[in-house]
Amino acid sequence: MNTTEAYYQLVRQAVDRNIRSGALPAGTRLYVSALADRLGVSRSPVKRALDILENDGLIRRDGGMGWVVGDAPADEARPNLHLFDLDLPDSGSAVLIKPGWERILQTVADELTDCIPFGIWKISETELCNHFGVSRTVTREVLTRLHERGLIAKNRASHWIAGPLSAQMLDELHDLRRLMEPLALRRGAKQLERPHLLAMHDRVQVALDAGGQPAPDDLDAIEVDLHETCVAPQPNQRLAAALPALRLSIVINRQFTRHVARHQEGALLTEHRLVLDHLIAGDADGAAAALRFHLDADHARARERLKVLSIFGGPDGDTAPYLTRVV
Amino acid sequence: MVRQLRDRVQNDLGFEIEFVLLDSTQGLQQVVTRPESFDIYHQWHTSDLIWTARCIQGIDLNRLDAGTRIKAAALARTGAGRNMHTIFDRLFVQDDGRLGVTPTDTIAVMPALHGVDGFAWRPERAPALRRGERESWGWLLDPRWAGHVGLIADPVLGMIEAAMATEVQLGEPFGDIGNLTIEEVDTIADFLIHKKKIGHFKGFWNSQAEAIRLMQRGSVTIQSLFSPAVSRLRAQGMALTVASPTEGCRGWHSDIGISAAAEGAALDAAYDYLNWWSNGWAGACLSRQGYYFIFPELARAHLAPEEWDYWYDGQPAARALPGLSGEITIPEGHRREGGSYRERMSSARVWNTFMDEHTHIARRWGEFLSA
Repeated sequence: MNTTEAYYQLVRQAVDRNIRSGALPAGTRLYVSALADRLGVSRSPVKRALDILENDGLIRRDGGMGWVVGDAPADEARPNLHLFDLDLPDSGSAVLIKPGWERILQTVADELTDCIPFGIWKISETELCNHFGVSRTVTREVLTRLHERGLIAKNRASHWIAGPLSAQMLDELHDLRRLMEPLALRRGAKQLERPHLLAMHDRVQVALDAGGQPAPDDLDAIEVDLHETCVAPQPNQRLAAALPALRLSIVINRQFTRHVARHQEGALLTEHRLVLDHLIAGDADGAAAALRFHLDADHARARERLKVLSIFGGPDGDTAPYLTRVV
Repeated sequence: MVRQLRDRVQNDLGFEIEFVLLDSTQGLQQVVTRPESFDIYHQWHTSDLIWTARCIQGIDLNRLDAGTRIKAAALARTGAGRNMHTIFDRLFVQDDGRLGVTPTDTIAVMPALHGVDGFAWRPERAPALRRGERESWGWLLDPRWAGHVGLIADPVLGMIEAAMATEVQLGEPFGDIGNLTIEEVDTIADFLIHKKKIGHFKGFWNSQAEAIRLMQRGSVTIQSLFSPAVSRLRAQGMALTVASPTEGCRGWHSDIGISAAAEGAALDAAYDYLNWWSNGWAGACLSRQGYYFIFPELARAHLAPEEWDYWYDGQPAARALPGLSGEITIPEGHRREGGSYRERMSSARVWNTFMDEHTHIARRWGEFLSA
C-alpha cells in the first residue's frame, strides 16, 4: 500500500473502484456513518471522499438522506453495507486501512535504521507530516512507538533524535534475538510448506554457486526468507510483535552490500542453507540450533561491519526528507 | 612515502610505482569502495576494517621471503613479550574467512613497522614537578600545564591518549582502554569539553607539520608527538624529552596489504614489492626516524653499528647520528628515552585501533573539537 496517500484518498479510491465494478450497485444509499463503519475508518475522511466522488459524478446527494450511487432511483431500504462483497485493498482484514500510524510505522522504522549506522539524525515532525501526508496526531503516535522500540529518544533541546547504532545496542538486541528467533522458528516449523522451503533453499544455493556475492536485492530476499517468512507461522502474538525490533542488525548487512565493493557472503549463505536443510528434513530442533549458530556468527560479522560503515557519511541512496544528519 | 625509499624501490624493482597519500577518511572510503584504484596499501590501524571489507586479498605466505619468519614469530610470542606483536592477534585468515591467531598459510597484511608513541615535553618550560614525580599521561590534563597543552586532532589516536589522561585525572580506571564503552567515551568527552572551556588546550594538530609549528611558537610545551616530528625539532636544537609514561605507551603498527583487485602481472609486482620491503633496507631507513622494523635483525644489516646501538639497543649515541635525509638529528651521547627496542615495545599498553564504538567516539570527539 502506498503509505504517502491521505486517508480520504484511500476511501475515495476504494469506493470509486467498487462503484465501477458494480460491487456497490446504482441506487445504493451511502451514509457517512455506515460507510465509515464498513471501512473501519473515522467519519471525516469518508465525508471528504464522498464530496469528491459527488464532484466526480459517481454519486449524488439525496437531501438529508446521504448519497445515492449513480443515476438510478434510490433504494428504499437503508442497506447493510457489511453484506456487500467489496474489493478492499487490505483484503485479509475487516477494515479498509490500518490506522494511520500503523501504515507508516514500519516504513519510518526502516528509513531510520538505514541511517543510524552512520551517526545521529534529527527527525522533523513537520517534514514527517508532509512526507506521508498525515496529521500531527499520527506522527506523534509513530514517534511514541519508535521511542518504545528504543529507536529514538529526545535530546536536551526536546528534538527527536535517532542513532548512532552502537556496538552496545547490537549486543543487547542480539542477546534477546538469539533466544527468541530460534524459539519462533521451532514453534512454526511444522507449518512451513516443503515447496516453499525448497524455493528458499534454491535461492541460497544459486547465490552460493555464483560465488557468494549476491546483489543487494537478492540478499534482501534471502534474509526475508529466513528471518521473516520462516518464523511467521508461530502462534505467539507477543513474540511476533517483539521480533521485528530485534532484527535491527539486518540493516548492517544491507548497507554493507551497498557500500562495499567486494563483500563476501559465503559464510552467511552457508549458515542459511544449514537452517533450511534442517527445516526441509522436518527437524525443527536442529533448525532452531542452526539458526542460533547463524545469529551468533552474524552478530560477530555485524560488529565488524559496523566499523567499516562508520567511515561512511550516510546510507546509500537518498535519505528520507524528514531526517537531518546532526553529526 | 619518503623520497629515499621511493627512488630506491623503483630502482631495485625496475618498474615505476605511483605513490599516493591517502590519510583521510575519504582515502579510507576509496580503499574500501574501489580496490581497483590501488595495488598496494600501507595501512596504519585499519587492518581488521579493510579485511572485513575484503578490499585487500589474502597474502600467500609461501610467496613471501619472510613467510617462515612471520609464522615463527606468531608461534614464538609468549609471556612478557606478548605485547610486542599485537598484529599477530588478527593476522591469519581462518577457515571461516575471519582473522585469527592460529597460523595458517594466508595472512591479511604483511607486518612491516611498529613502534610506541608517548608525549613529548620541554623540560625548561615545565611547571614545578614534585620530587621524584614520574612522567604520566595525566599531565596532558593536569592543571599545572593549563594553557600549554597540544592534542592530536585525530579521534582514533586522540581518544586513546585522552582516555589514559582522564583515567589518571579522575582516578578511575577504564575497563579496556583499547575498546572503550559508550559510557566511558561520554565520561572522557565531558571532561575534555570542560577542560577546553576553561582554556586548558593551546592547540590541536592534524599533521606533523602542525604539531611542529605548535611547539616552535613556544606556546605549546607538552603534547603527543610522533618520532619523526621529535627528530625534526631536535635537529632544530629544541631540548625535548620524550616521555616514558608510567601508564605505558600507545602502540602502533603499519602493515602492507594487496588490493583485492590485483591479479596477473600486477599481483606478481605486488609480491615483489612486499619482498623488497621484507629485506630490511626500508625498515632500516625508517629506523632513523624512530620507527622499528618488524624484524629488527633484518634491518640491522643495513644500519651502522652505532645506529643499531642507539635506535634498537638503547645505548648512548657513540657519534652524532643522521636522520632520514642525512641531517644530524641525534647529538653524540644522547640516549633514547624508554630504553631498548624490547623495553620500549613492552611498554605498549594500548594499540591504535578503530574501537567498536567508533561512530560514537567520532561524534563526541567532533563535539569536543568544536566546543
